[in-house]
Amino acid sequence: MKLWSRIKSASRNLLRKPQVDSQLDEELRAYVEMVTEERVAAGLPRPEARRTALAEFGGIEQVKQAVREERAGANIELLWQDIAHGIRQLWRNPGFTLTVVLTLSLSIGANTAIFSIVNALMLKSLPYPQPERMGTIYTRVAGPRPSDERHHINGEQWELLRDNVPALISAASGIRASGVNLEAASHVEYVHDARVSARYFDVLGIQPGLGRSISIDEDRPHGPKVVILSYSLWRDLFGADKSILGRAILLKGEPYTVVGVLPQNATTPSNADIYTPLQAARNGEGSGTNFEAITRLRDGATWQQADAQINRAWAHRTAPYELEDSPGSQVSYYSVPLQQGQAASLRPQVLALMLASGFILLIACANLAGLTLVQMMRRTPEVATRLALGASRWQIQRQFWIENLLRALLGGAASIALGFLALRGLLLLLPEHFLPVAQIPLDGRVLAFTLGVSLFTSVLFGMLPAVVTRRVDLRSSMSTRAIVGVGSHRVRQALIAGEVALTVVLLAASGLLIRTLVHLETLPPGFNPDGVMTARASLDELRFHDPATFTKLLDESTAAMRQIPGVQQAAVGLSLPYERSPILGGIVIVGAKEAVKNGMADQVYVTPDYFSTLQIPVLSGRSFSEADGQKTEHVAIVNQAFARKFFHGEDPVGRYLFKDMRIVGLVEDVAMAPGIDPGAPLSGEETLYGPATQMPTSMLAMIHVWFQPSWIVRTSGQVDGLPAQMQRALATVDPNLPFSGVYSMRDLMAKTLATQRVEVALLTAMAALALLLSAVGIFTLVANNVAQKTREIGIRIALGSTLHRAMLQIGTPGVFASALGLVIGLVLCAGALRVMHSVLYGVGVYDLPTLFTAVATLAAVALTAAIAPTLRIARIDPATTLREE
Amino acid sequence: MCAKQTNLLQGTLDLLILKALGPGELHGLGVSRRIEQITQGTFQVKPGSLFPALHRMEEAGWLTSFWGDSENNRRAKYYRLTKAGKGQLEVETEEWARVALAMTRALKAT
Repeated sequence: MKLWSRIKSASRNLLRKPQVDSQLDEELRAYVEMVTEERVAAGLPRPEARRTALAEFGGIEQVKQAVREERAGANIELLWQDIAHGIRQLWRNPGFTLTVVLTLSLSIGANTAIFSIVNALMLKSLPYPQPERMGTIYTRVAGPRPSDERHHINGEQWELLRDNVPALISAASGIRASGVNLEAASHVEYVHDARVSARYFDVLGIQPGLGRSISIDEDRPHGPKVVILSYSLWRDLFGADKSILGRAILLKGEPYTVVGVLPQNATTPSNADIYTPLQAARNGEGSGTNFEAITRLRDGATWQQADAQINRAWAHRTAPYELEDSPGSQVSYYSVPLQQGQAASLRPQVLALMLASGFILLIACANLAGLTLVQMMRRTPEVATRLALGASRWQIQRQFWIENLLRALLGGAASIALGFLALRGLLLLLPEHFLPVAQIPLDGRVLAFTLGVSLFTSVLFGMLPAVVTRRVDLRSSMSTRAIVGVGSHRVRQALIAGEVALTVVLLAASGLLIRTLVHLETLPPGFNPDGVMTARASLDELRFHDPATFTKLLDESTAAMRQIPGVQQAAVGLSLPYERSPILGGIVIVGAKEAVKNGMADQVYVTPDYFSTLQIPVLSGRSFSEADGQKTEHVAIVNQAFARKFFHGEDPVGRYLFKDMRIVGLVEDVAMAPGIDPGAPLSGEETLYGPATQMPTSMLAMIHVWFQPSWIVRTSGQVDGLPAQMQRALATVDPNLPFSGVYSMRDLMAKTLATQRVEVALLTAMAALALLLSAVGIFTLVANNVAQKTREIGIRIALGSTLHRAMLQIGTPGVFASALGLVIGLVLCAGALRVMHSVLYGVGVYDLPTLFTAVATLAAVALTAAIAPTLRIARIDPATTLREE
Repeated sequence: MCAKQTNLLQGTLDLLILKALGPGELHGLGVSRRIEQITQGTFQVKPGSLFPALHRMEEAGWLTSFWGDSENNRRAKYYRLTKAGKGQLEVETEEWARVALAMTRALKAT
């Protein structure tokens, strides 16, 4: 009640100030008039009466001010006056304000951009209903080789999870969407098909906009062939025709009945064009870990119950693959929120970027603290005058804080625009579907973060100057007129040293990442990528399950491509360098010193010209030939990594794999995206090549569900219209087989190394920003030194000191601070760079050339920044400076 | 003007104003004259302290104001006690009695 009346009167006082003031004026005037009348009535002459009445007031304005100060809202009014004064101060110092706002917008902008990625990946809810009830399953192995990560699951696990864990609605999907051929109207399109189990859309909480989801019956092995279309495919290929429901479309060369269409804007983790039933079993595909599980907690159940049920269901499996390599270990399973599971692989990179942008902020704050300090020193006379006129120290501090806050808010506002632009630029760098989220919005949380950071920086860069200027001595600053900073110079030097140290760390980190990228991009590829173009097609169709049709297609299409003018050679391979290959387990090596019964290697089928087309050197033995056919002896070619691992580097030519597969050749390793040991983004993994003609029929069907083979041509130069000519050549053999697109080997490498490229781009940008900020910091330190000591230098020169000595004396603090910073930075590097261990390849954490380059770059920039302002000393004219006194 | 005037104790002014307004509404000069009258000229309140006090007490919700005509037909701002103001008058009167008693005792003590 009382508070309410105060708020009411405060708002009246503030909002209707003129009325309130004029009423006060009238009230006081009435008082004077009444006193005057009284005195006239008592016999005084009117002028005399009026004069004494006024005298009684002791000044009408003072009384009015006293009344105003009693009013509610007086504090707000004072605050407003301070803010207005602050804005005038900013306006009066446009150079200073611009520097501060620019520094802040760059540094806060970097933080805004990085934080919006963190927000989208880790904080923002997934675009599904009740995302907190969605999960995935992690496997924890305790023992001699501990691990704790999300595993793919096999058919047995999937069945047990589906049937014996009532606390969860579970769904499985193929590991990634694969390419399939879809016939729409007159032509066939290459589209992305995600194979998903029944209840997949229930787990995601998506109701088909049209029709229904995949039923339990349709998900049984050999069940009916049905398909669900994504909204965009339905609109683009079928003209949003509602009568499509219940009709069959030709997919993978067979009729599939359309049972549903997803609603517009529905996203799924697989991001596919169409969805077909997984129809998982324990055998075939299901004998390996080829599925990905997602779960949703049922109403009333808890995660503890779910985890207990999973562990119970999965405890008694026929052959737990987790324990194959490490018998005697303990394995357990637990649920992890889906969002966390999805973003896990990007988390370390994103957190490292967050740390780097935090560094930028600190560097910017150090700079601004230094600048603000100088600015406050320059205003010492103003402060002294205000103190002398009776202002309290609190009032003066408040004034400074308000100015800092205004600058920080200006910078924050500018940083939102800058962060938005930076984010758009970053997204252009990323390949499509790289991030597991559809978009990165600048939402309320990002804006709140930016505001928070702005406030935080204002405190950070305002604190130090505020502490230093608290000691302003009234008398000495009034009398000397000079700018007295007790120890302020030391403080600034310390700030510069600190920011230089952080810059060293950022420079070294980005240097290491650049070296990693250079290393990966210049890895000996093991083949000649120049002039090679490739195109992929899906052979996941019934007719290609027949080895004769399959072999005929490869033979005739490569022959047709060789006829294209400018094409020298053509071949087909199941996978390409820089990409992933299917992994074959259970390899048996006959007659090895230590018996190998269960070796693992990448398995690639190739046509005879594969090695000559890619120019992969055959080191020993021979390449495949047309003579290696279905009926002839089974042959294989292995790479050096394979020979090293299974034959201890001896020449494997002539040795046997399994029972009767003879190794006829040894080839150079090629750089590929490893699947067995995904440590580095590119490596030469153990690979087993076989002739396409000798692929077992059973494998042919399965492998084409997951992988789409590539046609490879080597050209002698630029060939016009190559993609169309390749497609025409393929069409002469099979008119209904579309290519997914034609790519160069460079494109493939760029895609594989996208993460590294983005890391390099971002961290290098931040290191450059840090370098710039440090240079500005050193420059302003020395420049201010010059400005402050102009008089002193003038006197020195007048007394015979040389220019050289004066420059040295002025520039030294900047150089000294940077040198100190470099040393501290190197010490910091020793600790900080170790965390980068997992993202570096082909370069050590303490790489001397990188550290040397970082230090040399920074030293050069620091020296330049320290020397540049001292050049102004040369223009100091002793006579002029002395006359100014 | 007056031969003998006593400085107003801190807080005393509020009590005097509340007391002066006890019987009914008064304008600023009226309050001043009334205080002079009830203290028999011991306290004279100058406008420099009167008006800030009146406005502060109005903000506090003890007084309410309105514009009315004075005895010689001049527009003047009148003040009147609110319910809260009447309560405050009682509280402060009691408080004052206690302090005054204590002071008297203290000064009489030997």
